[in-house]
Amino acid sequence: MAERKKIALMVSILALIAFFGCLGGDTTTEETNKIKIGLVAPLTGAASTTGGDMWKSAEMAVEEINANGGVNVNGEMMMIELIKGDTETNPEQGVKAVTKLITEDKVDLLIGGFSSAITYADQVIASENQVPFIITGASSPIITKRDDIDTSYFFHHCPTTDDYAHDTLLFVDEVIRPLINERFNYPADRKLRLGILYQDGKYGEGVLDGSKKVIEEKGLNIEIVSEEKFTQSETDYRTVLTAMKDVGVDVLYPAAFLNEQTPIVLQGRKDVGLNTIYLSVECNDDPDYYSGVEKWGEYSIQESRFGPYSVPAGPIESKVNKFRNDYESRYGASPSMMGASTYEGVYVAAQAIKDGGGLNKSEIKDALNSLEMEQMVEAMKEQTIKFSDDYRESKFQLYMQQLIWDEALGETRPVIVWPDNLKEQDFVLPDWYEPAT
Amino acid sequence: MDFGILPEILFWGLYAGSIYILLAIGLNLIFGVMKVVNFAHGELLMLSIYITFLLHSVLGLNPYLIVPITMVLMFFIGVLIERVCFRPIMGTGKLNEIFMSLALIYLIQNGVALVWGNDYNTIHSPLGNSKLVIAFDNSLIVDVIDIQSTSLKQYNASWMMSLSLDHVVIISVTVFLLLMFYLFMWKTKTGKAMRATSQNREAAMLAGINVERMDMISFGLGASFAAAASLWWITGLQFNPYVGSIPAIKAFAVIIFGGLGSIQGAIAGGLIYGIAENASSYVFGGAWKDATSFIILVLMLVLRPTGLFGEGED
Repeated sequence: MAERKKIALMVSILALIAFFGCLGGDTTTEETNKIKIGLVAPLTGAASTTGGDMWKSAEMAVEEINANGGVNVNGEMMMIELIKGDTETNPEQGVKAVTKLITEDKVDLLIGGFSSAITYADQVIASENQVPFIITGASSPIITKRDDIDTSYFFHHCPTTDDYAHDTLLFVDEVIRPLINERFNYPADRKLRLGILYQDGKYGEGVLDGSKKVIEEKGLNIEIVSEEKFTQSETDYRTVLTAMKDVGVDVLYPAAFLNEQTPIVLQGRKDVGLNTIYLSVECNDDPDYYSGVEKWGEYSIQESRFGPYSVPAGPIESKVNKFRNDYESRYGASPSMMGASTYEGVYVAAQAIKDGGGLNKSEIKDALNSLEMEQMVEAMKEQTIKFSDDYRESKFQLYMQQLIWDEALGETRPVIVWPDNLKEQDFVLPDWYEPAT
Repeated sequence: MDFGILPEILFWGLYAGSIYILLAIGLNLIFGVMKVVNFAHGELLMLSIYITFLLHSVLGLNPYLIVPITMVLMFFIGVLIERVCFRPIMGTGKLNEIFMSLALIYLIQNGVALVWGNDYNTIHSPLGNSKLVIAFDNSLIVDVIDIQSTSLKQYNASWMMSLSLDHVVIISVTVFLLLMFYLFMWKTKTGKAMRATSQNREAAMLAGINVERMDMISFGLGASFAAAASLWWITGLQFNPYVGSIPAIKAFAVIIFGGLGSIQGAIAGGLIYGIAENASSYVFGGAWKDATSFIILVLMLVLRPTGLFGEGED
């Protein structure tokens, strides 16, 4: 009798295992009839605000596409399912998140990837599994240029540090340098003295390298007279700014994050008396920057492609306003730059799947390589989203904004001063400006 | 190198040193009396900043007036942490104490992030635009100006130094707190009892000192000193729930350099660190700032492992 009970119990257990084994587990996309997109972003940890923006923007894009019937894949309409991959703002968790998305969730492609350091780690998994990855949040060009892994499945839909430096220093050479030379009666061919204060890491070093590259390649009349490095999240820049002031700079280019850029400007102007033109990388085009720098940030330059306050006039103006209004209605906050490019990333993915005619990853990759799409909420060069032949980088139309004090608001607000096709007013060299001495 | 700038470099070194001193004293107080290394000290600093931020947003008071309130609140929070978290595990092993303080790091960070989010915030000092000008041209000139509306060029002096009023206030407050702390520790019964407990806990018990009460007071005072260090963040620096990590690491380096448990070591170590970092930054470049900290530490550990003043030298 006891023996029969044991056998009955074993059979029941085996039956249960077989039953549950058939229920959940991995399903192929064909069985669920959905396109699975993994969103790789820091949904928790220090960068969770940005990661949250990326998720919400992607979610909004997915819902819009699905509301319009989904994606036409070889005549069949398929809905998109967005799956979270939380990197927890650190490389180890990023690797785990991407591994899970690929091996357990069986995503068809990946979008996102905030932070070059984290993406550098987790893209290895995507490369090994040949999963297309539209990277919308990492600025280091090494993401698609590294040669230790196969990067042919990576598509960089985010300006790189080379791009930041390129457009920013073109502006400096074309606009700022001549004004300085004119005001102070310097020879017209006098080289502008540039100081670069950069964060110790891929991002900061990328801006430094990009600056050197564009000066040499374009033959700009700019000389880098001071390069100073600082540790990420440093709070006290007074001494190093004093050293740069002693060397003599006409313009200061910090390659810094928001919590670093703000004290650099404040301490530079207030404490050190370095009354120069401060440049800023696009990641600082954030309401907290405008409130943080107070009037000390007046007349500084903010490079951007999508910001909280200015909308470039022209073909994308109405699309940007719609995107902003829809996002604000839904989430009660303004979308960020990373959110904007991730939103576009979802549409890029959908277009590539449609063009490729299937969910074969190699076909998606080929479709991305030949993709040409009208620009959406960020201005693109040639008004088209497409990836370069060499390193699969899309090219954004970056613009320079000058911060102008608004007495009524008690904060500065940006005004686009370059390039000419987007300019709202001329760049102003302030009265308090002091060139290198 | 412009030698005329050296007094300003020294001043900024004193300013940075002030913050290190305040953090290190708090850490050393806790270690000295309880023999517990509080790895969550940076999170006590961060919590203090947020309490000041909250009170400033709600009450609209001058942040300098709010910091003393924060210090008092943090004293009681420190007492609560000691009673609830550390008292039950005292004597059960160092590993338990370490894990408890590591757990506190995550609890405090995530608790603050849950309430305020991960976004950066700022507290703007009302003295932000004010500068103390010291100039010399036949006679000494001392003046306080608003740098937004007044140019330094009006002082046509042979020598001039302009110091942010925020920094002058913070250094002055640090000196005041150190003086009060000295009077408390050396001139009051409770302070002497705390020193006795730190020197020999068993003997202190035998002498009738309530050592558990000393533990509470030391943790509370340690948290108060962390709150005092939050003064740095009312000068416009941005902060988020993770801002406490790096200052805490620096504070640990300072207390090891100065000597674990030594208040004099914390003061000397903080000053030396602040000045050395700024001097090396100016002379060798910004990349050397953190390297200097650890070179100094390594040299000290090699030459005198117990630190400048060492344990038991109070």
